[in-house]
This record gives sequence, structure tokens and C-alpha cells, in this order.
Amino acid sequence: MVNLEEIKKEAKKILEEGKVKYIIGYAKSSNALMAAPTFVKKPEDIDKLIWDPTCFQNLVKFLIDEKRKKAREKEPDTRPIGIFVKGCDSRAINVLLQEKFITREDVYIMGLSCEDVGVLDKKKIFKKLKGEKPEKIEFDQRKNIVISTKEKTIKIPLKEILAERCLECTSSFPVISDVFWGDRNNRSPKEPFKCLEQIESLSQEEKWDFWQQQLSKCIRCYACRSVCPMCYCDECVVDSINLAITADTTAEEKAQKIKWIEKSPESSENFGYHLVRAMHLAGRCIDCSECERVCPVDIPIRFLNKKLEKVTKELFDYKAGLDPEQPSLVSSFKDEDPEDFIR
Amino acid sequence: MAEEFEPKIIAFLCKWCSSAGSDLAGVSRMKYPPNVVPITVMCSGSVSPLYIFNAFQKGADGVLVSGCHPGDCHYIQGNFYARRRIALVKELIEYIGLEPQRFKMSWVSAAEGKKYTQIIQEFVQELKPLGPQKKLRREK
Repeated sequence: MVNLEEIKKEAKKILEEGKVKYIIGYAKSSNALMAAPTFVKKPEDIDKLIWDPTCFQNLVKFLIDEKRKKAREKEPDTRPIGIFVKGCDSRAINVLLQEKFITREDVYIMGLSCEDVGVLDKKKIFKKLKGEKPEKIEFDQRKNIVISTKEKTIKIPLKEILAERCLECTSSFPVISDVFWGDRNNRSPKEPFKCLEQIESLSQEEKWDFWQQQLSKCIRCYACRSVCPMCYCDECVVDSINLAITADTTAEEKAQKIKWIEKSPESSENFGYHLVRAMHLAGRCIDCSECERVCPVDIPIRFLNKKLEKVTKELFDYKAGLDPEQPSLVSSFKDEDPEDFIR
Repeated sequence: MAEEFEPKIIAFLCKWCSSAGSDLAGVSRMKYPPNVVPITVMCSGSVSPLYIFNAFQKGADGVLVSGCHPGDCHYIQGNFYARRRIALVKELIEYIGLEPQRFKMSWVSAAEGKKYTQIIQEFVQELKPLGPQKKLRREK
């Protein structure tokens, strides 16, 4: 069991010692179903910190912002950042370490095990509540959730409202950490890629219809890209920010800038964006499902990334984020990689 | 009279083997369908998935990526990287419901002009019944 008091004690200790610059954790927000990311800079603020299944954000994204901020400062504070990580978030840190985007000294990893639970899926709860607004939630022995709305109080087993990824999670504890709370129980779901079966069993035309319908909804708000801890490129292939077109931009400069994918939210361009994003996340996506959570038009983006996760597992026996020392998927190869599709 | 559908194939050929292979087919006066637009790249490993998706967006009916045989790469390992990446692209293309026959990869060495013509012939034969590729095509 993760004891919140112990976490607070450790957080207070490292803040008082000045071991970390600040701690990124979770705090209560105005929305009962969702914890808010919080930055604790002073030891007296540690009582804000919480830990329960509403803490579903992946805080690793903030490390990327921190690195950018540090690069701009004249005399940066080089102390590490304390960060709360769940199992999935810890794999994201591993990928960032593997790609040498951050160094191990940059972070003080406070690992929290989800144990046999996981985090909530807000959409599932809203379905259960049928439009009522939750006022207060409580957890009953990590088995049930008790939600109180204005009119009634309902009790739902946690299993029914956990995020899909938590039901298919294979390691619910952080694989890398400086301090750790909870149990290291390996979960072994019988079918870790069950969610894909639904799409894989479709015929080719049905698959196309499904994706066509889903991806043509995309409004290209790039929320998925903004929230993704792996999407840290300074310039994204889909929108070039480094070429500002001004009155002085010559025709040659404009012509030399290749535009692979147009910005307009049309079906073909949306496919281009989502396929390229899926490819860029192959062997890197750690299945935190943040992209799907933030999508305003409910595109099942996770199915794209999960598919490539499955393919990389089957073809190359590669799993993202387990070891910061392993070579990345597309910058390594094995002699025995499959080539039966090649003529 | 309705004209028979002629597919348009974009072929990314590596400079050192496949391009020379297609050249050999040409100078040896071997006959093969004129449906292919060859694009020479420095290595099959330099073919970004973006090139492939973009070829489809610009209206290609089929895309071929061809490189040196494993072990023959001019850059020692380029085609091994390509093999991994292209395997992923192939799976992804199939997953979103584009006909998997529309995308091919092959190893063609500089001496295999004959094999190159065969690959193109087969590819054209496979693409003809599928008709034009409209799924990923940009509407202009």
C-alpha cells in the first residue's frame, strides 16, 4: 500500500534539504474526478499533495518544458526536479533517458506503484453518471468508488471505470526510481492487446471506413502532440515554425521549404498527420493514453500507437521504456529481423 | 471505348543497387511496363515513412521501396534499418485499411535487371484489379 503520509514526509525532507529544485506532483482540483498537476516549491506546501486513482496525468511532459526553460536561463539552477511517476510515466522517463534528452541527474524520481488498481477513465464515469455532475468522490478500500452528486450517491466497482490502458497494463510499478512506494507486483493480463482485436477482425474495407470516420473528425488542434511526453521536437514535421514568412522571405526560401503535410483538416492530411505521428512513436510510445484523453473529438489515437506496440513486440521483441540503456527501435536492427514481406 | 486503368507506381530505388539494376534493365532493352516513376535515393534506409505516405497522398497507386540485398549495402547497414522501418509502415498501412498490395519492398542488386522488370510486371498486374488509389489521395 502506498502511504500518502510517507510520501509527504519524503517530499518535505528533500525540499528542506534543498536536494530538489521543486516537486511536480498531484493536487486536488476543482474537478472532483481529476487531480491537477502541482508544483511544490516550499516545504510548507506539501500538504497539497495527493495520490489516488484520479492522478491520471503524465507529468513527464513538464520535464521537457523544464529543460527548455533551463536552456534559456543565464545561471540555471541545476538541482534535479522531483517528480511523481506511475508505472507508465516511469517508462516515459526511460525513453527520454535512452534518447539522451534528459540526464539521470536532472530528475529525482518518486515512484508510485498503482498496485492492483490504476487510474480512472473520466469518460467511463460520465457515462455511468448520465450527465450528472460529480460533487465528491471517495475510494472504498481500493475496490469501489463512491461518487456523490447533488441528488444521489452511487457506488461503482473500480474495475468498471479504470482506464483501458490500466486494464492492459503489464507493469503497474515504476521501472526506474530514486524512492519508491507500494508493491512491485507484476501484473500479467491475459490479453495485453485485446483492445485491438475489435479492429483487427474487421475486413479491409471496414477498417478503412472506421479510420476514415474517426480521423476525418480531427480538427488538428494538436492537443495530442502537446500532451505527449515523447513529442519534444523543436519543430514538428506538420507545422514549420522556423520559417516565418515575412515580406523579406524570398521565393527561393519559400520553395525550398518542403511541406509534407498541409495544415488543413482534410481527410488525407489528417491521415498523413496521424500516420506520421504513429510512426514517430513506434518503439517509443509507452501507452500513457494521454493523447486519447485530451482529444476533444474522441479519436481513438491509442489504437494506432498500441498497434505499433504490438507489431514491435511480435516482430522485433522490443518493448519501449524498460531499459534506458537499450538501443532505440529504429536505430538498431538484428540479423534475424523478419523479411518475408520483401521480394 | 473505356481505357484500361494504368496504375502509377512510385519507386524509391537506392542509388547503389536498385537504381543500377533498373538502369541495367534499361540498357539491356528489357521490356517492362512504363507505369513506374523511379526516384533515386541514396539508400533505402534514407526512405522516410513520410515519403511513402506523401506518395500516396499525391496520388500514387502503388509504392515500391527497393534497396541492396542484406549485407550488400553501400553504407554497410542502411538496408537493415530500412527493413525494420518498412515492416512497421507495411503493418500500419494494412491496419488503417489501405490495400496491402499497394506497398512493396524488394531487394534488387545492380546485376538483377531481370528481377527488377519482373517485380514491376507483377506489381502492375496486382494493382490493375484494385483500381485507382483514392483513399489517401489529396482532393484538389
